Amino acid sequence: MINQLRKVYSTLIVYNEGKNKLDQNYKWFVTGNHEVIGIHEDELTSKDISLLEAFLVPYNIELPILTEEEEKWRQVIQSKEPTDNAFELDSSFRFVYFFISENQISPNLFNDAIHELFAKRVPILWKNGSEGIIIEKQQDSDENLSYDQIIDVLMSDLYVNINFFVGPFKEDLKEINHHFETLTNDAKTVFGYTNKPVVTYVDAIPYLLIHQTEPELRDEISKTILQEYLDDEDTLKMIETFVQCNLNISETAKELYMHRNSLQYRLDRFLEKTGIDVRQFQHAMPVYLAMLARK
Amino acid sequence: MAELRLVGIKKVYDKDVVSVKDFNLEIRDKEFLVLVGPSGCGKSTTLRMIAGLEEITEGDLYIGDKRVNDVAPKDRDIAMVFQNYALYPHMDVYNNMAFGLKLRKFKKDEIKKRVDNAAKILGLEELLDRKPKALSGGQRQRVALGRAIVRDAEVFLMDEPLSNLDAKLRVQMRAEIQKLHARLQTTTVYVTHDQTEAMTMATRLVVMKDGIIQQVGEPKEVYDFPNNIFVGGFIGSPAMNFLNGKIEGNHFVMGDVKVEIPEGKLKTLRDQGYVGKDIVLGIRPEDIHDEPLYLKSSPETKFSAHIEVAELMGSEIVLYSKVDDQDFVARVDARFNATAGQTIDFAFNLSKAHFFDKETEERIK
Ligand SMILES: Nc1ncnc2c1ncn2[C@@H]1O[C@H](COP(=O)(O)OP(=O)(O)OP(=O)(O)O)[C@@H](O)[C@H]1O
Ligand SMILES: [Mg+2]
Repeated sequence: MINQLRKVYSTLIVYNEGKNKLDQNYKWFVTGNHEVIGIHEDELTSKDISLLEAFLVPYNIELPILTEEEEKWRQVIQSKEPTDNAFELDSSFRFVYFFISENQISPNLFNDAIHELFAKRVPILWKNGSEGIIIEKQQDSDENLSYDQIIDVLMSDLYVNINFFVGPFKEDLKEINHHFETLTNDAKTVFGYTNKPVVTYVDAIPYLLIHQTEPELRDEISKTILQEYLDDEDTLKMIETFVQCNLNISETAKELYMHRNSLQYRLDRFLEKTGIDVRQFQHAMPVYLAMLARK
Repeated sequence: MAELRLVGIKKVYDKDVVSVKDFNLEIRDKEFLVLVGPSGCGKSTTLRMIAGLEEITEGDLYIGDKRVNDVAPKDRDIAMVFQNYALYPHMDVYNNMAFGLKLRKFKKDEIKKRVDNAAKILGLEELLDRKPKALSGGQRQRVALGRAIVRDAEVFLMDEPLSNLDAKLRVQMRAEIQKLHARLQTTTVYVTHDQTEAMTMATRLVVMKDGIIQQVGEPKEVYDFPNNIFVGGFIGSPAMNFLNGKIEGNHFVMGDVKVEIPEGKLKTLRDQGYVGKDIVLGIRPEDIHDEPLYLKSSPETKFSAHIEVAELMGSEIVLYSKVDDQDFVARVDARFNATAGQTIDFAFNLSKAHFFDKETEERIK
């Protein structure tokens, strides 16, 4: 789409991530792919603007000015060179990717709120007006909130939907630019598989593995394992809950508001029909993967 | 003043997941409306559409007279409280309550006025300079409520705010929230999957299942006249008993056991052609009796059954038994000493029971 638009508007530019300031001589818009584009005002009539606003979201967000520390991180992340010894680390750290499904939140407000949640100021790097990463240092403090809690706190103050993909802790800066790339890409994959707002790297492994497999293999796995249950949403939902409840019958029955006997009965039927006993972990796991492969 | 109107609301996530459909509801000004139903039935989705955190796929949402489908959440004049109602760990109580207003650039005096007022309502005046760490669980929950109160919003939206608390604190906070509502009279939509919470707190409750409203009504009305088997079973604990049987003559017949149906109910069943058909009896545990006096006065619904388990709950006993090999639970007065292993007489109070269509599972009215 950008290329097509560019044929019409020769001044079209795509927002450059490193910059903090939006050029005020341009009108800015967000595309469906969350790319931010600008067109010089001289090239736009008011009719053009209303037309563009009909299918693009106007964008007028200023990203926060980077602190010295954030600037340092930005450089390693965007570096094309080996990053091993770019600077001294005082503790291990992890990248926490965030995505806000509302284009008009002010990143400055978000930053203010995030800083209040941690004992020490955390570097935050925005990719664009709706996503970025928090660089969280490992701290021994019993006061830290979980990311689920953070979401609820922020949601009630900022009125926005937030997703977090929490990366693994890192001891050094080795290949950190690569890690950043993978993590932000993985995040997009991960939220296609689950509707949980917070996903950790460990939670994400099954999604990432399945996502890597060839479509043919995915198809084969789901068909071979799930057989006649392939489209039986009720049963699959039941098994998914069963897996999430650590294969605990009572808990699952309670969660699904079902009698435990009828749960038992349906699991027995599944075993009869497929030869797979999801009450055993080594059977539950492939069924779970097959369900993911179906998505 | 805020009424809410949800007209033909539907939510579809990513093409195929329909989470809420055909949702029509008027929420009255000052009402404490509870959305209740099992996990995944669409309660949070509905609440989040009201908040504006999820887009409405189809239908219209009005707050007051204004259609707000396209109004940003922050401009809807709502305050929200969620399940993990955590606080900013490094801020004192005052600033925790003030922070949302600061972000919205309220003037200092206005912030102070609102925070002091909320602190007074919640009895937090003495604790304003404490950090969350130095508060009890109940105090923290009150601060979290305070964070919503200072908004001075037209509508409160709460999504399972008590579900992470231990049982004792939950009961305490339930009362606290009710007191608060009595005082502020803010229209509230409250989500829970706990039917006890729903029954005790709601002015009206909405029972949902699979994204569809099953029944809307005052707690007592829903309890006494459930629309269908699902609602009957979901509301009330221990749950309503459902017994399969047939209508033969004047009787509801379960295998060898026959109980006589009161005239009024019988007429309805006859008029609607249920005689001779399979049908489901729904009867609450407290409407099954074992007191000698009741048994004597109700020979027409008497039968004997073996008590498998008896749980003493203070002045009452919950008895688990079977009739025609179908399980039922009775909640009876502990004075009559029913114990496990006995075979005793029971009688149904059928005037309080309901019949449900076996196919549609709807209550026969
Ligand atoms: N972001 C999402 N993407 C896709 N599907 C979703 C999303 N959020 C919820 N759903 C689905 O919509 C349905 C309703 O979910 P919802 O969270 O509203 O249920 P709930 O009644 O609040 O349940 P609970 O008691 O477990 O909180 C479920 O089937 C759920 O899987
Ligand atoms: Mg929910």
